[in-house]
Amino acid sequence: MDRLRKDFTTITWVMIPVAIAINMALGFLVFSLKIPILYLDTVGTVLVGLLCGPLAGALTGALSNFAWGLFGNPGYVPYFPVAAVIGLLAGLFGQWGWYKKWWLWIFGGGLITAVAGAILSAPINAYLQGGVTGSGTDVLVAAFRAGGASILQASFLQGLVTESVDKVANYAIVWAIVKALPVRFLARFPRYENVRSD
Amino acid sequence: MTSSLSLYAPRESGLHRLHPLTKLTSALLGVVAGIALPGVWPNYAVFLLLLVPLAAWARVLPDFGRVVIKIALPFALSLFVIQGLFWTGGTPVVEIGPLSFKAEGLYFAAKTTGRILVVMGSITLFVLTTRPDQLMIALNQRGIPKTFTYVLVSAIQLVPRFQAKANAILDAQRARGLETEGGFVQRIRALLPVSIPLVLGSIVDVEERSIALEARGFSHEGPKTSYQVLVDTPIQRVARPVMMLGAVALIVGAIFVW
Repeated sequence: MDRLRKDFTTITWVMIPVAIAINMALGFLVFSLKIPILYLDTVGTVLVGLLCGPLAGALTGALSNFAWGLFGNPGYVPYFPVAAVIGLLAGLFGQWGWYKKWWLWIFGGGLITAVAGAILSAPINAYLQGGVTGSGTDVLVAAFRAGGASILQASFLQGLVTESVDKVANYAIVWAIVKALPVRFLARFPRYENVRSD
Repeated sequence: MTSSLSLYAPRESGLHRLHPLTKLTSALLGVVAGIALPGVWPNYAVFLLLLVPLAAWARVLPDFGRVVIKIALPFALSLFVIQGLFWTGGTPVVEIGPLSFKAEGLYFAAKTTGRILVVMGSITLFVLTTRPDQLMIALNQRGIPKTFTYVLVSAIQLVPRFQAKANAILDAQRARGLETEGGFVQRIRALLPVSIPLVLGSIVDVEERSIALEARGFSHEGPKTSYQVLVDTPIQRVARPVMMLGAVALIVGAIFVW
């Protein structure tokens, strides 16, 4: 508990809005490059989780969704618990040293986050939006529904497919970013031990 | 402090002059109503008879209509098509070749579209009529720590700048021969040369910002004064708890009554 409070240094508080802005900028980038399936809107969240701990990551995720709401995308707002859990998981994986083995970080971290994300977002999606996403991935929803799946199941399965690709990509990008950052800068973060290569 | 990309629309209206927490409470009430109200018609009634007139009073009706339609239309289309056609074990109403629209699916689509209209409409109306920095000050006065509100305000200011930077980097890389159109793999490969410079470039000033904040007593405990004055009337002070009670009543009704 004390550890978690110590995670919130000034640099953490500065990093969080930067991470939120990164989330939104990359999300918009993917949208304007018209890349299907990927969203890439949790890179900042995972980054903060890795460098500043699980609670900071969770806060970044939740606040990002509210920020989307303020910028004209209220559809994101109800999913803030999902984003919070994503940040939390990234912090835990960092704490368990998963970053040190790239395959464990990218695939282990990415896929587990994808499953958790799909499980958590399916009920919200099913209840608030009737299980559809209003985008191209609804083809998947239609296929699952035609196959007899319930609204909840179809939403979960659709989420599983898209999230698996998207979260692995997210974790891969975070890995590449941290590798490129100077040690002098990384050393200032509260959870530097997650990423240092000895 | 507002930017062209943030949704806040400054207008001279009674709704804009209300205290930010009043608007936040009514947005929450709207979201709860959208979820808790039963059937199809109540949600549409709330939207047409409550939200739309409020938007007109706030002189944001065109913006309101634009945002809500932009959000609700894709969902409505998907809902009517997918849940209408593929509702498990439903009673067919309209035939289209080998497929048919099921009555239960259409009813569900209508009900959910109404819910989306009210939930998203409430949030949108709130964002359109509330200045973010005033909301932050109001939250501070109620006890939310300054660090949280700093984070949101800072994020709001950074986002348009980051998007502009992302576009600039995209153009610069394109000028260096980065291929951004074409196949799926092509476009994925275009991502890394843009995202990495964007993130690395912005992280450089993270250090400078934290030094600047420390120099302004950021982590110092104790009360701080505010430059802006928020107006709160007695009617609003009473209205807010009443709205909260209304939200609780709706939830109780949703669970036990209907």
